[in-house]
Amino acid sequence: MRSKPETQSHTAATEPLSSTSMDPIFPLLRILPFGFLRPPKLRLKLPTLTLPSPMTVYALVLLTYFMVVSGIVYDVIVEPPGIGSTQDRATGSVRPVVFLPGRVNGQYIVEGLSSGFMFVLGGVGVVLMDLALDRNRAKSVKVSYATAGIASVVIAYVMSMLFIRIKIPAYLR
Amino acid sequence: MVGKAEPVNGSVKSGSNQSIPAAMQSPLKKSDLIPNLSLKTLKLKTKQQELLIRVSILCLVYVLAFITRLFSVLRYESMIHEFDPYFNYRTTLFLTEKGFYEFWNWFDSESWYPLGRIIGGTLYPGLMVTAAIIYWLLRFLRFAIHIREVCVLTAPFFASNTTLVAYFFGKEVWDSGAGLVAAALIAICPGYISRSVAGSYDNEGVAIFALLLTFYLFVKAVNTGSLAWALASAFGYFYMVSAWGGYVFIINLIPLYVLVLLITGRYSMRLYVAYNSMYVLGMLLAMQIRFVGFQHVQSGEHMAAMGVFFLLQVFFFLDWVKHLLSDTKLFQAFLRITVTTAIAVGAIALGVGTASGYISPWTGRFYSLLDPTYAKDHIPIIASVSEHQPTAWSSFMFDFHILLFLFPAGLYFCFKRLSDATIFIVMYGLTSIYFAGVMVRLILVATPAVCLISAIAVSATIKNLTLVARAKNKVTQTGFVRGSSSLKGSSKASLDQSQPFQRNGAIALLLGAFYLLSKYATHCTWVTSEAYSSPSIVLAARGAHGNRVIFDDYREAYFWLRKNTPPDAKVMSWWDYGYQITAMGNRTVIVDNNTWNNTHIATVGRAMSSYENEAYEIMRSLDVDYVLVVFGGVTGYSSDDINKFLWMVRIGGGVFPVIKEPDYLVNGEYRVDKGAAPKMLNCLMYKLSYYRFGELTTEYGKPPGYDRARGVEIGNKDIKLEYLEEAFTTSNWIVRIYKVKPPNNRCPYAGNDVPYLPWVPTVLRYHFQAMFHG
Repeated sequence: MRSKPETQSHTAATEPLSSTSMDPIFPLLRILPFGFLRPPKLRLKLPTLTLPSPMTVYALVLLTYFMVVSGIVYDVIVEPPGIGSTQDRATGSVRPVVFLPGRVNGQYIVEGLSSGFMFVLGGVGVVLMDLALDRNRAKSVKVSYATAGIASVVIAYVMSMLFIRIKIPAYLR
Repeated sequence: MVGKAEPVNGSVKSGSNQSIPAAMQSPLKKSDLIPNLSLKTLKLKTKQQELLIRVSILCLVYVLAFITRLFSVLRYESMIHEFDPYFNYRTTLFLTEKGFYEFWNWFDSESWYPLGRIIGGTLYPGLMVTAAIIYWLLRFLRFAIHIREVCVLTAPFFASNTTLVAYFFGKEVWDSGAGLVAAALIAICPGYISRSVAGSYDNEGVAIFALLLTFYLFVKAVNTGSLAWALASAFGYFYMVSAWGGYVFIINLIPLYVLVLLITGRYSMRLYVAYNSMYVLGMLLAMQIRFVGFQHVQSGEHMAAMGVFFLLQVFFFLDWVKHLLSDTKLFQAFLRITVTTAIAVGAIALGVGTASGYISPWTGRFYSLLDPTYAKDHIPIIASVSEHQPTAWSSFMFDFHILLFLFPAGLYFCFKRLSDATIFIVMYGLTSIYFAGVMVRLILVATPAVCLISAIAVSATIKNLTLVARAKNKVTQTGFVRGSSSLKGSSKASLDQSQPFQRNGAIALLLGAFYLLSKYATHCTWVTSEAYSSPSIVLAARGAHGNRVIFDDYREAYFWLRKNTPPDAKVMSWWDYGYQITAMGNRTVIVDNNTWNNTHIATVGRAMSSYENEAYEIMRSLDVDYVLVVFGGVTGYSSDDINKFLWMVRIGGGVFPVIKEPDYLVNGEYRVDKGAAPKMLNCLMYKLSYYRFGELTTEYGKPPGYDRARGVEIGNKDIKLEYLEEAFTTSNWIVRIYKVKPPNNRCPYAGNDVPYLPWVPTVLRYHFQAMFHG
């Protein structure tokens, strides 16, 4: 209901002043500054606000979901390193550690992002499977959607299980 | 009626159903009656079959939700867990013993000595009243159950009720299949179990039920536009306000939802009726709770609801004017003026209210949800609670498992089929997932939304797959009857060509889906059993031979306090243990978990971090008789007071600048061994934790005084206490109690250059001294 008055108010403004205007201040403004000032002729157009389509909103939502589930708030507040490092006792060389060990509620930045990516991949896989089943598309497109969807879900699930097993060694034992 | 069975049932069922009337019409002899009756009663109509399946699934889910929460009751005993539930238990006990009016007007002088606490006006009574009602109902039916058993089992009972509400909610948003899946998912979801396990007698156990009930009733009201459902949702909101401080989420989400509906052009009379009734009646009912009071008109957190309320009136007014006016140009002008005036008036009112102080700003607890960095810099007490930490990915994975994949898929289905109800569930899901990312504790609030949306994904996907899998039966039947009335004739023809491949693929995918769901069930049960069923007051560990060793030190210490100290003794400890000491030890405490007075807690923190003589001054001014510390050095228990010590320093230093955190650190590192800071080695907390510990050998092959929780040998082994003496140490040294010695007969304020002020109360005298000392 908001978008329509914006466009129509613009068309109403360009019409001559003889139209019935309920604005009480407008006649005063006509006399006082604009009696001797001449406003320039600009060719401005008010931007028309239209609501985005549901799928655009869905894409934005997916992006937000990816960021939240990767633990971006944790990254901003606790400021962990991108990747941890540990020193090898025998050789003294510094080895990178991807998964923060020992705690459930702790992460490095990269491990958070990669896990978040896996979750979104799994979700997108289920969406692709639905796209393959529902629409009346070309058969080859449906088959490719279906295989992509199934592959995404399988990869996402396997990788997520792998990640959680690395992070929590005592998982499911 | 039977012949027109729905197509999904296929041909088989309709064939057998049609055979029955033929059998019934033949003349029956008496001997034929009994087998025919049993045959008839077994063959139900389709609708009855579906009803039977649904009811049996719901019953099984109800029982499942209850029994999966009983791990700790079976492993240990039926007792209350953690810290907060002990306060709730104590107040419930008071309520059942003394009655409602005593409870509502209760002033407790046993906590926050010497300030006391107005319990009647500073708690959310919903949980206690619910448990008391259940208790009185059972006693009315002559079941003589102790109130503790009712308290322990309240949370699982309400979790089962939540599954029922989730079923109805799912039915409202999508269809009954999604409702059933939602009920099943929420019954075992670890995010919900973590706060509603048996023994966890806390507000959230009841509040999540109230939250989901309020949302369900409101969505039903918006869908039907009926006044009855709207008023019911107001009563659901009242129950939520009485149960938990998280009701602020409801009173902000629902106006946000109404705003989104208005923006997307879904204004309707149903929405108007639903929101107005719910808001007005809900606000009036919420004011009946003393703790909430007039916050609905005075607090900044509740202003969004009021703003949307007025905006809805503006919308209705404009609709009415549009209906009256015939001139559209006139109406457009009128619309512009009204909208600008309304927004201007609203902004001015908000500005005046905030500037004059009538509308209070957002409180720190809720403001830190919008700006997560706020608590870290400004309010160390909020930042110190481990549940308030932001969430890492592994916490999400632990609490949700495959629901994290199904959540975006469910959002996709909701966006495909937008309606008033799906918009609501999408908004609930998104806002709650964001808040769950900010604070670990709020994963609980996100759980119903995630379960519902995932249920939509599961239900829609499985429905599609079963349609494809069953398509073969339909094609063979319609092939005989020349089914031109079947819906997608052309696609069925193309289906015919690759028939076995598609059908097998669909069956394989169905098996895959069931495999994933079974892994979810395994994961949930494992997590419940391993991670979320520990009572926290009783610790368990694996002994040397794999046997289970139980540490019951906390209850041992509280029972000792109860039996061996004078009834008016005052106990000083860190605020974590306050509720337990008052509930089980039955003694007055200085600070407890309510943490309503930061200065009082900072005083205790300052006492714990000072040298013994300064701490003695503070303890004398607070009339402390006993000091209780928790020490994990012998058992390796890592949640002891030495590990929490830096928080005591920070909170104490926040109010009294004489306590500086760098004094206790060495190069920014917190140590207790020989290289520790000298102030650390001589402060009261260190002395009380490690008194006589230097003589104890804790581990084979390590020197005496080896702290197993920190993994180092302590620095100062030769500790002498001048103003305190050891009263009791539990069998595993976890809880240590010290008695404060009375002052000497001469020189009561030795080492102090402030004149003696006898007419000033002791606490104020202490604060004056603090000011003079700087």
